Amino acid sequence: MSLFKYISPKTKDEVLEILQKEKSNACIVAGCSNVLPNIRDKEIKAKVLIDITNIEQLKGIYQKEDKIFLGPLTTINELIYSDITSKEYKVLTQAAQEFADPLVRNTATIGGNLVTASPAADIAIPLLTLDALIKIESTRDKREVKLKDFFVGPGETILQDDEMIVGIEFEQSDVNKNGYFIKIGQRKAMAISIATVAVNLEVRQNKINQIRIAAGSVAPTPVRLTGAESFLKNKEINDKLVEEAIDRVREEVKPISDIRASEEYRRYISGLLFKRAFKKLADSSIHQFTN
Amino acid sequence: MEEYKIDLTVNGEKISTTAKAEESLLKFLRRNGFTEVKCGCEKGECGTCTVILNEKAVKSCITLALQANHKEVWTVKGMEKFELGRKLQKSFVNYGAIQCGFCTPGMIITAKNYLDQNPIPNREEIKKAISGNLCRCTGYKKIVDAIYAVAVENQRSK
Ligand SMILES: Cc1cc2nc3c(=O)[nH]c(=O)nc-3n(C[C@H](O)[C@H](O)[C@H](O)COP(=O)(O)OP(=O)(O)OC[C@H]3O[C@@H](n4cnc5c(N)ncnc54)[C@H](O)[C@@H]3O)c2cc1C
Ligand code: FES
Ligand code: FES
Repeated sequence: MSLFKYISPKTKDEVLEILQKEKSNACIVAGCSNVLPNIRDKEIKAKVLIDITNIEQLKGIYQKEDKIFLGPLTTINELIYSDITSKEYKVLTQAAQEFADPLVRNTATIGGNLVTASPAADIAIPLLTLDALIKIESTRDKREVKLKDFFVGPGETILQDDEMIVGIEFEQSDVNKNGYFIKIGQRKAMAISIATVAVNLEVRQNKINQIRIAAGSVAPTPVRLTGAESFLKNKEINDKLVEEAIDRVREEVKPISDIRASEEYRRYISGLLFKRAFKKLADSSIHQFTN
Repeated sequence: MEEYKIDLTVNGEKISTTAKAEESLLKFLRRNGFTEVKCGCEKGECGTCTVILNEKAVKSCITLALQANHKEVWTVKGMEKFELGRKLQKSFVNYGAIQCGFCTPGMIITAKNYLDQNPIPNREEIKKAISGNLCRCTGYKKIVDAIYAVAVENQRSK
């Protein structure tokens, strides 16, 4: 006897109809890497599993006018192997390469990663510095929300129980093409992040024209560090500025101590990761500029 | 609630039966006699349950059985149908890459699927490719040696 009901719709509209009827009694299943362990631990209250993996409309990575569109069923490995992401949006590819292991990456999806809303959700960090827009639908409404406004708390998002993510979009801008991601875990593979930092930067004449900084595992949700961003904006790049910015980053993160690392270590390492990522990007931008 | 109809092929053989909604592909395969797929952690961490699902190596304990409906599954027993599978089996034996053997079905599947995509990797690439498969016995060196030997053979016969 099954404990759950299973439905495998072929279209997004069918999913929305089921969600409208079942509300919190339904649970969407994508890559299943969180859902199955949760079922086993009896953490899922819903009684209906909606398997969305056969819905072609929710797959793929495309260029759409001045934007890049990612289907929510895009797997972590697709971020690594797609020409679009691997050539121009390396911040995403770098995060994907540090994610779990090559097997989990074959099935785990970016939609599932965002909805899980773990403070350590690795793909959320580069999507935050790409200033991604989350496209959400239900039978009653369609809305778009900036990723930075999507997370509410650990495991909690603004999604209502009749809504689903139908797409993720970001601009094909210069700042988005110049990004860098770093993860610190306890080992090289299969590690939950102790801290992650992503930076996207656009430099003009040695001045910071645009900067976005995001961090994971150092606050209740994945976060943008907007304080450090506004401190840096329009300033001329020099060593003193970078040192000051590191302090701002360390002040702005809100880490906790857990089995993986202490609060102090996380604060310290956030600043260091920011410095490494920023220097990588600044060095190459200034180099490009003087050439 | 009722069970659901499922049609799939495992190692090239058609199977038509039923599965529970929440049943993992791992449990489903073992219940249907494919006990060569090993159950280590049931949490997606150890890789002993690795199978090939529509040409991709996946961990069957974190995949629903019903997600394999109308798809093709290969377990380690099916590997002898492929030249590459046979080469890997031999090489694992030659290099002593098997001690207790519990990780071996998953390792061979991961290695076969990886070499299909990248036939001539270096040792570092092999280490990354098997990073989702844990081995408690060998210290990995012999496993990497065994896979690398097949890569070298692939290079020679190119
Ligand atoms: C061994 C292992 C290692 C892991 N390593 C990492 C890691 O390194 N980094 C990391 O960030 N995470 C990691 N994870 C966590 C997990 O794999 C990721 O969060 C993954 O991206 C989840 O995606 P999924 O498709 O498997 O989601 P699922 O398990 O299918 O779903 C997760 C949640 O999202 C909901 N959902 C999925 N898609 C949608 C949608 N389109 N609209 C609305 N709701 C939706 C589901 O209802 C469910 O609540 C790991 C997990 C395991 C088991
Ligand atoms: S049993 Fe599937 S990964 Fe351990
Ligand atoms: S040989 Fe024993 S776990 Fe690998």
